[in-house]
Amino acid sequence: MNGQYAALIIALPLVSAFFVPVIKAISKKAVMPFLLLVTLAQVGIAGWVFNEVYTSDKPIIVMAGGWRPPVGINLYIGHFAALFVLIIAVISFFMAYFSIKAVKVEPLDKYAMLFLLLMLGATGMIATGDIFNLFVFMEITAITAYALTAYNKTGEAAEASMKYMILGGIGSSFFLIGIALIYGATGTLNMAQIAQLAGNINPTVAQVGLALLIFGLAVEAELFPLNAWAPDAYQAAPHPITVMFSAFVVKAGLYAAARLLYLMQAVSTWHSVLRLLVIMAVLTVVVAEFSALRQRDVKRMIAYSSISQVGMIAFALALGSQAGVDAGVFHMVNHAIVKALLFLGVGYVGIKLGGTTLEDFEGLGRRMPLTAFAITVGSLSAVGIPLFNIFWSKVRIMLAGVSAGYTWGVALILGASVVEAVYYLRLIHRIWFAGGGERLSESFALGAIMLFLVALILVIGFYPNYAWSLAQKAGADIFDVTRYVSNVPLMGVGA
Amino acid sequence: MIHISVYYFGAISLILIGLYAVLVKKNLLKMLIGLSIMETGVNLLLISVGYISGRSAPILSEGVGPNQAVDPIPQALVLTAIVIGVATTAMALSVAIILYEKYGTLNVEEIRRLRG
Repeated sequence: MNGQYAALIIALPLVSAFFVPVIKAISKKAVMPFLLLVTLAQVGIAGWVFNEVYTSDKPIIVMAGGWRPPVGINLYIGHFAALFVLIIAVISFFMAYFSIKAVKVEPLDKYAMLFLLLMLGATGMIATGDIFNLFVFMEITAITAYALTAYNKTGEAAEASMKYMILGGIGSSFFLIGIALIYGATGTLNMAQIAQLAGNINPTVAQVGLALLIFGLAVEAELFPLNAWAPDAYQAAPHPITVMFSAFVVKAGLYAAARLLYLMQAVSTWHSVLRLLVIMAVLTVVVAEFSALRQRDVKRMIAYSSISQVGMIAFALALGSQAGVDAGVFHMVNHAIVKALLFLGVGYVGIKLGGTTLEDFEGLGRRMPLTAFAITVGSLSAVGIPLFNIFWSKVRIMLAGVSAGYTWGVALILGASVVEAVYYLRLIHRIWFAGGGERLSESFALGAIMLFLVALILVIGFYPNYAWSLAQKAGADIFDVTRYVSNVPLMGVGA
Repeated sequence: MIHISVYYFGAISLILIGLYAVLVKKNLLKMLIGLSIMETGVNLLLISVGYISGRSAPILSEGVGPNQAVDPIPQALVLTAIVIGVATTAMALSVAIILYEKYGTLNVEEIRRLRG
């Protein structure tokens, strides 16, 4: 099959999103099944793209309108993008089902539309090969995320959304200034061509431009000075949306930051930007872990935990070595699975019991045993207990940190794990050893989704080699810029 | 003939004025106005990056060939950025309306139910 069909991963959600009003006009009840159907189709397309890229071992380059880059905008679906587009699609499919149970606030058709556009934005950020196109997809993600955060129409939701918007607005302005600098210096917006020309740019301009781009992406990637919105938005957003934020929206931001970072390897001042990112990442981990300790609301606590894990990923990506990028990608995959499971479980408890404070979780082991089991496995994995998946990626990050000369990185990750152990074990203790109550019936399909994610955690935990080899290929896709450039069929204009 | 640095100076001043308003002002609407000013500054910066002294707008017409026009790409970018800015501002103002309904104020120091 022609690789150009891979453009469907962008086209399908976009077209379907604008078909939602038509579906609503036919039958209001059909909106949510339509959403489920579209996300299922997206899983199919993403699965095909994944299979295509990994069997042929070559990226798919989609050229919009048949124009060759840099004149036309291209999509670059390499190993990383193929893997993450699949993860995005699968999680969106699960969350579309969860939304049917979890979201009761009207207007559901607007919800379905925003849901699809959020999925589209994150997919686009990961797949694009053009820096301004990246900005557009980032804004699509951001604006839909603002709207979905405020979706519940409570004061808290509006407050969280407003915080997110102010920080997002500052971030996107920084990102555009960065684009202006890079464009002014290279005369191109195509990522592969920027990588080609990076060595010739004035190092100061490149340094400032790159730092601004990363600062702009730090809002979506939830890195320290610009992540104040995240816990509020996670807490106030509808439960399925929280899962999507944590599982892939933040990953799209991290990926974009890493991609831009490694594209500019040839710049002589590159290492100072790496150091900036390391500092931001370390502060993210430290601040988030200590904030998580103080939380009484479980959803907010896991939000802080998610942010600190994101800091670890950013730390690994900022090491500037192949091993670091591989470890970061591996941790991204594991984190997506674990946080999807945790937020799904916690969200389900929130719907069933009407709240997500620590007290609500007392006796959960007796009231909702399946959900309690899923949350327990997720928590143990998040702490990094051996034989769960996150253990392996934390080990990989530590090894990469040591070989890159950041020995204290080991102390950072071990320390963070100890803090995580404290608050996750407190939660597990409440679930199994405190309180009690009537047994509630649990949804069969949601239970199946949770068990599927639990199984993934355990499989990767016992046999990490396959997932690790995927992560290595995806990591090489980010790190190996020469191959990235040679894969994009650039026209010889302006270069 | 105005020297190009005037545009850069103006753009950067607008960005800084906007940033100041966002960071310092307490009234939500003033903060949103600050964001808009900042976006305008960034757009002006993008336009000035593509400016070439003495050339005209990149519209192909009689007497204006590709060599007499300024770089068209930044102008296309700014067009997109303006549209995105409008969408963000509209979104922010509608959330501001909800905030005013729920809290009865637009002072950001009083809109603080989520903490920790």
